[in-house]
Amino acid sequence: MAPEVERELIRKCKAGDSRFYEPLVRAYEQPGLRLALGMMGNLEDAKDALQNAFVKAFEALARFDLQRPFGPWFFQILRNQCRDQLRSRKARFRLEALDERLELRPADPETGPVRYRERAKAREIIWEALEKIGDEHREILILKELQGFRYGEIAAILEIPEGTVASRLYHARRALKEALEEIGAPYP
Amino acid sequence: MSQPVTHEELMRYLDGEVGTEERSRIEASVETSTELRRELAVYRAMKDDLRTLKLNDGGPNGSVWNAVNRHLARPFGWVLFVVGALVWAAYGVYAYATSTAFLFQKLATGAVGIGILVLLASVIWERYRTWLTDPYRDIQR
Repeated sequence: MAPEVERELIRKCKAGDSRFYEPLVRAYEQPGLRLALGMMGNLEDAKDALQNAFVKAFEALARFDLQRPFGPWFFQILRNQCRDQLRSRKARFRLEALDERLELRPADPETGPVRYRERAKAREIIWEALEKIGDEHREILILKELQGFRYGEIAAILEIPEGTVASRLYHARRALKEALEEIGAPYP
Repeated sequence: MSQPVTHEELMRYLDGEVGTEERSRIEASVETSTELRRELAVYRAMKDDLRTLKLNDGGPNGSVWNAVNRHLARPFGWVLFVVGALVWAAYGVYAYATSTAFLFQKLATGAVGIGILVLLASVIWERYRTWLTDPYRDIQR
């Protein structure tokens, strides 16, 4: 979505007209859902968090600075929402067949069923290791590798200096490496 | 002799977040250090593996807009309902109080109305007190 269109929509939402919020929700729900899924581990809790985050973001639009992009600001709210849900008794990170659709997909004829099964097994092991590492480590890995955010964007979402992102990523990757070693699937 | 490469620099190099000059310096260090080369290879393999992961997002029909919209519209609906109900109730009380009905009729009707309100308030209060001490109140499913 073009920044000026986004700003105009937000301006109208700030005036209290929620109809103009729909394009924003639709534009940000897919990346938002990926972030929430990475943090919550299952679709049901992720959708709950996403929905609540959109409602909270709308209610907080009065304080939103129109000079800033909406995305990182919204992802900050979403991340806090996921953390609140994980902290409360309402949810905990519960990994639930995140690769389900891939598992159900028929074997890729080019790679063959054996290779396909191997890759599926490898993914399963990585998910298992991701489940073992702390929320903070998992969160930054999801933002970087599954979402593909740049360091600057990650810093804005996590509300940390850009220089800290590399350090956090290093610790997260090390934690994942150790978790994989514990599972018995170390890197050579 | 070049400066040693820190873990943070290695991460930035791995993620393509370094400038040309820094990249050349890191590459030179990687060339000469087996340990650094091994470390980089491990993190590169891990990065590739993480990128193969896919999240089950519920498919294209899973929009949350309707649910969000319901939440946004609900408070506005309640405000309108409550304001409308209060205006009508006030007008009803005024119209009845200034009507030509006998005084005992007005008092009896007033007592019935106030009694219903008191009963309703006591039930709501009781439910609220129970909710405060309910150990399962945060459990949704």
